[in-house]
Amino acid sequence: MFLKDLKEKLYRAVIEGDPEKALSYAQDLVLSGLDVRQIVSEVLAPAMRTVGEMYEKGEYFIADLIASAEAFKQVFDEVLKPRLASGAVSRGIVAVFGTVRGDIHELGKNIAKALFEAEGFEVIDLGVDVPPEKFAEVVESREEIKVVGLSALMSTTMIEQEKVIEELKRRGLRSKVIVVVGGAPVTEDWVRKIGADVCGDDAFRALKKVKELLGVA
Amino acid sequence: MPKPLLTVLSREEALEIHSKALDLLSRVGVRFEDPEVAKILLDAGATRSNGRILIPEEMVSEALKNTPKRIDLYDRDGKKVATLGDGALIFNPGSAAIKILDYGAAEPRTPTLEDLKNLVLVVENLEFIEAQSTALVPGDAPIEIRDVVRLYPILKYSRKPVITGAFTAENMPVMLEMLRVVREDAWRRPFTIFDACPSPPLSWSKVTSRNIVDLARAGVPSEIISMPGLGATAPVTVAGATTLHHAEVLSGIVLAQTVSRNAPVIYGGSPALMHPRFGTTLITAPESILVSLAYRDLARFLGLPTHTYMGLSDSKLIDYQSGAEEAYSALLATLAGFDVISGPGMLEFESTQSLEKLVLDNEVCGLVKRVSRGFGVSVDEIATEVIEETVLRKGGNFLLSPHTRKHLRKDVHIPQVWDSTPRSRWSGRSIYDEAHATVIKILKEGSYHELSPDVMNELNKFYEKLWMKTSSKPKYV
Ligand code: B12
Repeated sequence: MFLKDLKEKLYRAVIEGDPEKALSYAQDLVLSGLDVRQIVSEVLAPAMRTVGEMYEKGEYFIADLIASAEAFKQVFDEVLKPRLASGAVSRGIVAVFGTVRGDIHELGKNIAKALFEAEGFEVIDLGVDVPPEKFAEVVESREEIKVVGLSALMSTTMIEQEKVIEELKRRGLRSKVIVVVGGAPVTEDWVRKIGADVCGDDAFRALKKVKELLGVA
Repeated sequence: MPKPLLTVLSREEALEIHSKALDLLSRVGVRFEDPEVAKILLDAGATRSNGRILIPEEMVSEALKNTPKRIDLYDRDGKKVATLGDGALIFNPGSAAIKILDYGAAEPRTPTLEDLKNLVLVVENLEFIEAQSTALVPGDAPIEIRDVVRLYPILKYSRKPVITGAFTAENMPVMLEMLRVVREDAWRRPFTIFDACPSPPLSWSKVTSRNIVDLARAGVPSEIISMPGLGATAPVTVAGATTLHHAEVLSGIVLAQTVSRNAPVIYGGSPALMHPRFGTTLITAPESILVSLAYRDLARFLGLPTHTYMGLSDSKLIDYQSGAEEAYSALLATLAGFDVISGPGMLEFESTQSLEKLVLDNEVCGLVKRVSRGFGVSVDEIATEVIEETVLRKGGNFLLSPHTRKHLRKDVHIPQVWDSTPRSRWSGRSIYDEAHATVIKILKEGSYHELSPDVMNELNKFYEKLWMKTSSKPKYV
């Protein structure tokens, strides 16, 4: 009963996007002996699913989504991760996102990041004006990275998305990752032309597609 | 002369926001991605803290003292066309669209150089859109020079002043040189204005900060377009976004004046609310517009020339929404008395241009300019004598009065494309179809102003070299 009550409280705190409360309930749950993996599967994941549904129904704004994802992230990184057996150190599937070289537009990338995090992905954010080599280096450095997300808002910087793909190929990393290219100028034709996998002109649809390709939909 | 004037901030409120912005600049500071640009400010008295450049109040006041309060704007051929600083209301097409919406199409497509030429010809023939802009980014030009090539059809066919901008640091000097091919003193007596955006919050990219430096050195007007994204890159409150906006523009002014005292700078902006659910950037949201109106007052208080992104629409089609957003934002911009108003033709969050919309927006610009001109109250205009004469001797019919004939031509604005016909003379076509007919007519019969053969020759040489640098064959339009 006590456990059930605590779980419910943590669930609520994540939905409300209150990291402070979430952290303290998560701590209590750990102390009362609940398995870390169970905390994720029985509380955090369902909470984020509910948040996603509330967003889709129009009850939640992007800012609400981000707050919940942040609560989830803090609970995971500060309370759960230190207690997980080494090896399983990521919150979920790992993705690396960034805005390509020469481009500083970041709103779209940030929204995509929030959506992916809300669905349990761990997103490494490389920021803006990121050269192709940097993307490749990061992919090379972490085995668990499965997704590369490239944002470009200018018709003059889209070409950099192609260059990242080339760089991944050059280092033999292309088949390891799903490449999503996003931004207003991106079209399905462009995705085909440069050999990317997913069209990210809409972050919500892109997320669905990525999950399908990963077989976690 | 009675003339509507819209202000939203009292002097006290303006002062309050101004001092809060100064406080932000001196305590939080601004991030400059380019260390060389940062150094310019550090050498002039700014300090560094945690990688941010703190700008003391004295530097801002000094810069404001040195910023020209008026900027004379010329046309391509050297004729003065306006003085900025007093609400010149120069409408120009919203710039750098990555797409064009064809007549009847539901989906926009990538524009070409030929499309840009057509846009230039249309604008050249629209009375109330008084400046051109490099409004389309041509997909059929090499990526490295896509910003520069846009100047070509404008310089070739149009006399109107030009609002433009560079996409890279390297291309700014090239664009500036290109202007001098057309007129030797194109910098000193400028017919172009270059936009440069800070990256909210309180940061400057390499590209745009270097653009400001180059422009200040050349003495060509720069337009500092802060773009606070309400609820994303700026506070969601109008006052918060305005304060951030103001601080960013001041940082640009300080940079320009530090590089070159008296450099011409325009206080601009393009505030945009981030839609809470879709993340789209709404330029015509009421909150975005309120930020523009508020900074217009801040600039008035500092006596600076102004710019805004209004007179445009976030709609995807030419429909009720596009007309409503266009008209309400254009009217508010004119009533607030901006000098440069960028927007006409633009749709879908500053991404898509339409020739038909340009024609329709020209109508809106005419209407709102007429309203903002106000009316005279001379004895002749109050017209009691005419009233007496007409009532007592002309049977009350003002159609018969010479006063009517005289003032009709002077005072009454007559729309060209708007439908005002009685049903019996109505074409039966929608206003959208009428606009298309006008586009076709302009492209067939419209006038344009070519350069003299000598100058044209020089421009072509410059253009050819530009394309050669990318190992491609020049496309002439
Ligand atoms: C906001 C904005 C800015 C802001 C950016 C603020 C920020 N921190 O991001 C500021 C003011 C800084 C800015 C600066 C400039 N900008 Co700007 N900007 C825009 C604007 C209006 C909106 C972009 C935006 O944020 N949209 C909202 C987001 C949510 O949409 P989105 O990015 O498309 O994202 C969605 C999807 O695409 C997808 N997505 C995007 N990325 C990713 C990534 C992944 C992994 C996934 C899965 C999905 C995904 O998810 C999102 C939600 O569905 C666009 C016009 C437009 N409508 O695109 C111009 C625009 C892109 N800018 C333009 C220009 C010219 C510039 C400047 C060069 C202007 C200047 N001379 O100063 C500078 C850039 C200078 C530089 N390189 O340093 C031009 C580009 C023209 C071209 N060459 O193609 C545009 C088209 C405007 C215009 N018509 O002039 N800009």
